[in-house]
Amino acid sequence: MSEPEKEKPDQTGEVTRRDFFNEISLAALGIAGAGAAVVTYNFLSPNVLFEQSMVFRAGNPDLYPVDTVTPLPDQQVYIVRTAAGFYALSTVCTHLGCITQWKPEANLIACPCHGSKFNSGLPPSKALPGTKIEGPAPLPLPHFAMTMTADGELQVDKSQKSDQVLKV
Amino acid sequence: MATTEQFLSRLRATRVWKSVFRRGPARTNRTRSLAVFGNIFLHALPAKVREKSLRVRATYYLGSFTFFLFIVLVITGVLLMFYYHPAVPQAYRDMKDLRFAVANGVFLRNLHRLAAHAMVAAVFAHMFHVFYRGGYKSPREFNWVVGVLLLLVTLFLSYTGYLLPWDQLAYWAITVGTGIISAMPVLGAKIRFLALGGNQVGENALLRFYVLHCVVLPLVAVVLIAVHFWRVQKDGGLTVGENSRGEDGGQEKL
Amino acid sequence: MADKKNYEAGFSSDALKNPQRIVFITKKTSAKVRGDVGKQFMTYPHLLLREAIAFQVLAIVLVVVSLLWDAPLEQLANPLVTPNPAKAPWYFLGLQELLHYFPPFVAGILIPSLVVVALVVIPYFNVNVKGEPIWATNREKRLLVVLGTLMILSVFLAYFDAWTVLAPTILIGGLLLLSYFGAPERPGWTDYFRTRPVSWWVMTWFIAVALTLTLVGTFFRGPGWSWVWPWRPYGA
Repeated sequence: MSEPEKEKPDQTGEVTRRDFFNEISLAALGIAGAGAAVVTYNFLSPNVLFEQSMVFRAGNPDLYPVDTVTPLPDQQVYIVRTAAGFYALSTVCTHLGCITQWKPEANLIACPCHGSKFNSGLPPSKALPGTKIEGPAPLPLPHFAMTMTADGELQVDKSQKSDQVLKV
Repeated sequence: MATTEQFLSRLRATRVWKSVFRRGPARTNRTRSLAVFGNIFLHALPAKVREKSLRVRATYYLGSFTFFLFIVLVITGVLLMFYYHPAVPQAYRDMKDLRFAVANGVFLRNLHRLAAHAMVAAVFAHMFHVFYRGGYKSPREFNWVVGVLLLLVTLFLSYTGYLLPWDQLAYWAITVGTGIISAMPVLGAKIRFLALGGNQVGENALLRFYVLHCVVLPLVAVVLIAVHFWRVQKDGGLTVGENSRGEDGGQEKL
Repeated sequence: MADKKNYEAGFSSDALKNPQRIVFITKKTSAKVRGDVGKQFMTYPHLLLREAIAFQVLAIVLVVVSLLWDAPLEQLANPLVTPNPAKAPWYFLGLQELLHYFPPFVAGILIPSLVVVALVVIPYFNVNVKGEPIWATNREKRLLVVLGTLMILSVFLAYFDAWTVLAPTILIGGLLLLSYFGAPERPGWTDYFRTRPVSWWVMTWFIAVALTLTLVGTFFRGPGWSWVWPWRPYGA
């Protein structure tokens, strides 16, 4: 029915010309396919993002009284000032990405989605700001790196995490 | 009436008609077979079907309903596409336009959303029904797998469509969902970055979900549906074997 | 008792031509139809017209409901404000309820992947193709296995406070244990359950759990994913 089988079982392990060309062609196709996949992945992976800059200025330190939590909703950051200094906390809950809310009457930060609660770090609490009190969140709220600019303003870099408090 | 009959038979005798429809009226078994066998849209079906498979209680027509819902979704979806810009925040304004400014916009959007939810429910119902009837057993294993893939495609279609109105419901459902994706070890963050076209749910995410929802996933669905229908016929058709309800009075064995 | 032969023996039908031909039919030679063909109808018109009617019925129902009920549209998406509660579409609410008890990786990735894999693998598990009831053989041994599995599962779920999964598990488990005591002499629903195979019980358990999770996630969860009674307004 099909073409007659001319190949005899190869005793010596030599590669026939037909096999060689078959294998070369398949390898070439494979390389082309892999290349196409990589090129497509690179194409789909954006290099330029029109999102907010991760570095922003938070103004003069005197804007923030001691022992307060000031939410900056546009930046998704809380500026927490205690006696120890400044912290920049992420407002994004570490569970699934919902935006938490600062509850001054309860002295904690709460997430509306599944009920996670985080420490504010303000007295009488002795814990660091952002540590988890209860709820399904797996991690505490991350702290972002804070520095002082040359002209005396606070600067937050959301692309860097830091566990140093900024002393002013 | 007689004149209509005459008119139709004269129409059918014209050269133009005969060039388009070649088999003649389907009044003999031969022409009835040709109506299915010779038709590009229908030739995946068999020319004859078993009496058992026609009964409502055989399949409750669940598979058919799922497919019909898909058709309704494609038609209403295409119509909605004429008024929708996948841009932020224009998408939301377009939803408002559809509701207040476009003739029958409310109706079409309602129909689209209703059919979407109904299709997800129908796919689940169809799957469970096939399971309980044993329609996955050999030689139909592969068709069952194709069915599971169709279930996933349906869920993805519904999920990508969910973002498109760009309202609070949409935005946060997708934020939570892509948050879960990043919980996957090793690849999670990369997959989320690719899916959103960035780090946040923004205009890139909307555009990507729009393309997935309107082009990529429907194409995949059509291909899988074609395979699914073809496999039904090749595996022996519906309601074969001891598991089918039929003249034996409904003795169901799993 | 197990039949090791993989063929069936029979007689050819035409005794004149083949006076003593014995036919050997091996199992699973090809994907052939195994069943009585029975009465057949032409696809056109019988099947196609039924499908057309089904489509029209569906269209009417869809159109009527679409004219009466409007699809929801909330406010413009606001990345700064998370609504409370933030709920997924209904077919994912079961998953979201599961997320309440288990970490995101388990409830969001592991369990759904396992479910999909389990679904895909179902037809390739050629165990019990004939659909033997669970209590057909080895009754006592199987009862012990069932009891043991239920006990371990219940303890595990209770440890994680996963009541929404525990309740249907206990319900279906209870039904399964009850079915052990069914007997052919007492027809009725106990006998129906008695004759169900393992695969039926596993799937029914899965559907019961998924249904409970989805219903709870839809109707019984309010702000902060706290428990609410659906007939009471939020905050009551």
